[in-house]
Amino acid sequence: MDLNPSPEDLAFRNRVRRWLEANVPEDDLKTLDARKAWHRRLYEAGYVGMLWPPEYGGWAATPMQQAIVQDEMARVGAPPPINGLGIGFIGPTIIVHGTDWQKQRYLKKMLTAEEIWCQLYSEPNAGSDLASLKTRAEDQGDHFLVNGQKIWTSSGPIADWGILLARTDAKAPKHKGISCVLLHMRQPGVEVRPLKQITGSSLFSEVFMTNARAEKRDLIGGLNQGWEIAQTTLGYERGAGSLGRVTRYAIAFTQLVRAAKELTRGGQRLVDDPVVRAKMGKIYAELEVQRYAALRALSALQKGESPGPASSITKLSYTEFEKRYYELALEILGPWGQLITAHEEFEEVDTSSGEPGTWATAFLWSRAGTIYSGSSEIQKNIIGERVLGLPKEVRADRLKA
Amino acid sequence: MDFAFSPDQQLLKNSARAFLDEHMKPAAVRLLWEDPRGESETTWKEMAQHGWLGLSLPEAYGGSALGMIETAILLEEMGRAAAPGPYFPTVLAGRAIEEAGSDAQKKRWLSAIATGDARATVAFLDADLDWRPDATQTRADKTAKGWALTGTKRFVPWAHVADVLLVPARTREGLTLFLVDPSAARLTLEPTPVMDLATRLASVRLDTVPVAGDAVLGSPGQAGPLLASLLRRAALGAAAEMLGAARRCLDMAVAYAKVREQFGQPIGSFQAIRHKCAEMLLEVENSHAAVYYAAWALDAKADDGELAPSVAKAYVGDAARKVCGEAIQVHGGIGFTWEYDLHLYVKRAKALEAMYGDAEYHRELIVRRVAA
Repeated sequence: MDLNPSPEDLAFRNRVRRWLEANVPEDDLKTLDARKAWHRRLYEAGYVGMLWPPEYGGWAATPMQQAIVQDEMARVGAPPPINGLGIGFIGPTIIVHGTDWQKQRYLKKMLTAEEIWCQLYSEPNAGSDLASLKTRAEDQGDHFLVNGQKIWTSSGPIADWGILLARTDAKAPKHKGISCVLLHMRQPGVEVRPLKQITGSSLFSEVFMTNARAEKRDLIGGLNQGWEIAQTTLGYERGAGSLGRVTRYAIAFTQLVRAAKELTRGGQRLVDDPVVRAKMGKIYAELEVQRYAALRALSALQKGESPGPASSITKLSYTEFEKRYYELALEILGPWGQLITAHEEFEEVDTSSGEPGTWATAFLWSRAGTIYSGSSEIQKNIIGERVLGLPKEVRADRLKA
Repeated sequence: MDFAFSPDQQLLKNSARAFLDEHMKPAAVRLLWEDPRGESETTWKEMAQHGWLGLSLPEAYGGSALGMIETAILLEEMGRAAAPGPYFPTVLAGRAIEEAGSDAQKKRWLSAIATGDARATVAFLDADLDWRPDATQTRADKTAKGWALTGTKRFVPWAHVADVLLVPARTREGLTLFLVDPSAARLTLEPTPVMDLATRLASVRLDTVPVAGDAVLGSPGQAGPLLASLLRRAALGAAAEMLGAARRCLDMAVAYAKVREQFGQPIGSFQAIRHKCAEMLLEVENSHAAVYYAAWALDAKADDGELAPSVAKAYVGDAARKVCGEAIQVHGGIGFTWEYDLHLYVKRAKALEAMYGDAEYHRELIVRRVAA
């Protein structure tokens, strides 16, 4: 057990730090073109697609190097790359399950953000119970005719392509009749409606498909194998963002300390109030434990150990922590924590979405983490069944199957 | 960067597990609960033979010169077994003697600790229950032959079997640490039974107890930093033991949830139980990260080596409370019986929650560092 970074990792971190100092844009990236241009520079520097194999345009870096890049970017508040879902999850799915033609056609443009990708999985009536999805893809010989509705689609309005789960066999048991196919978003049968969230912004959208067309050559894996494909790749690349995430928490904590020194109540600074101090101590202790756990997970990833279902522990841990964090922060700050516009520097804080905001927006965003990518309840089911080996629950749909 | 144990560390863990599984079965622990002395001389000597008593002591005194990671590995296993005995206080006292002792003091005590011939403990706490070394009220006055100590030390672990007590006291020079013979005149020990019968505590009353001039550990007035550093190790050691006890409780709860049936199903198939178990695992895994990160940080003298033990004590204290409590809940009525072994581990963790500064105490230490 030795948690000192290796000389190579230290040197790499210094290189990344110097590159970011020289290259991070000074102004906010206001347009999609500006964000794509920044993404392209990150890619060319070797900081996007780091874990992808070189034959598909990746850099074959180590998980630790990838975590270092994200950590250094968080440290200086660098704008993130775009196409995160494509690069983190859809691309690797195509690498594992796709055809050579699909790999040639899609992967490089995904990496360089020439084409933006979204995920078309959840439906209004298929959330945690994703396998009950209703969107249909009917076989029309050379293509599928797609009808249905998807929801919670990140990057929907800017996406060129989507990875779609749709029902291709209505008679089969629900897990057995689903296929995975790539859908071109820029066609008349696809309509994207932004969803306004409780934060006031619109990072998600609804997607309506009315006689939309998906090509047969864009089927991933075999017909009706969509569920297995979705299951095997959901955990890919977890852990890469862990250090950067903790660094963002730590930056927010220094803002909280500043706020607690600026604000007074009853004639004393908040930071001198023992009740406030107890809460701050609780946040900081938990934040540090998140950092230790991130190092532990990274150390396993470095050795090529697949986290498998144990990555559910990580996801459950940091998303639940984030809720406690911002709840305690808002308790400490009182009405000050509810501002939606920052006037003083100590009122600004990055949110888990990557959007800058106030303590109020960070608090609101913290409610998303325990719902998306498998809710906390789903993670606990996975941990219970697949890590602890507890018996499966009796479920109506399993009895029928 | 490698968070996993080295092969040697894993070997130590495995042999400690095997040893304790054999010698500290729940029935053996229960026998010691009833024992007036509360520990087993045979087991103690065997632990010495394994090299565990001298684990972190210098090789010159028969030790293995290993670090806090290895000590935490052993303590986690002892917590997992709820093994009674003065191992941890002896290790702590040995550390203090090694750090601040004269050659004569080291010769007198360290080899004897490594061979299992001496037990020792540290009397951190005064009557007003403040863990801050600065709060020490016990007094040491200069006499013709040495010093006279007056005061009351509370909740001193395993004082009744110790061959030497490390007693912080206030002198004209400031905070000073004394090596005190428990059989000295005008020193009285009074046992303080607590709910964990494997944790033996005592009040130590000092009424002008005569102590020789050469019984000062280090220099008079200089004990503050040494005590602060000892308390960090103590907090971390307690966290390691709580981790072991909590993992035992989790393992028992999961095993029980797999076999106990109600409504025609194993109760582990119900989300109400399964989700509890998942949350317990989360707390145990995070506690593991906290304990071993802090142990590494102390050994490596990392920048946060003084902060991390407080993080570990604060986090694991809360985590163990939750995990052990939920383990009783998962078991239902059987978990509330004396006969069932779960309470051995629940009580071990509970006893350590309050020792060496509770979670609130360590959170305040953290805030002093990060919001100064």
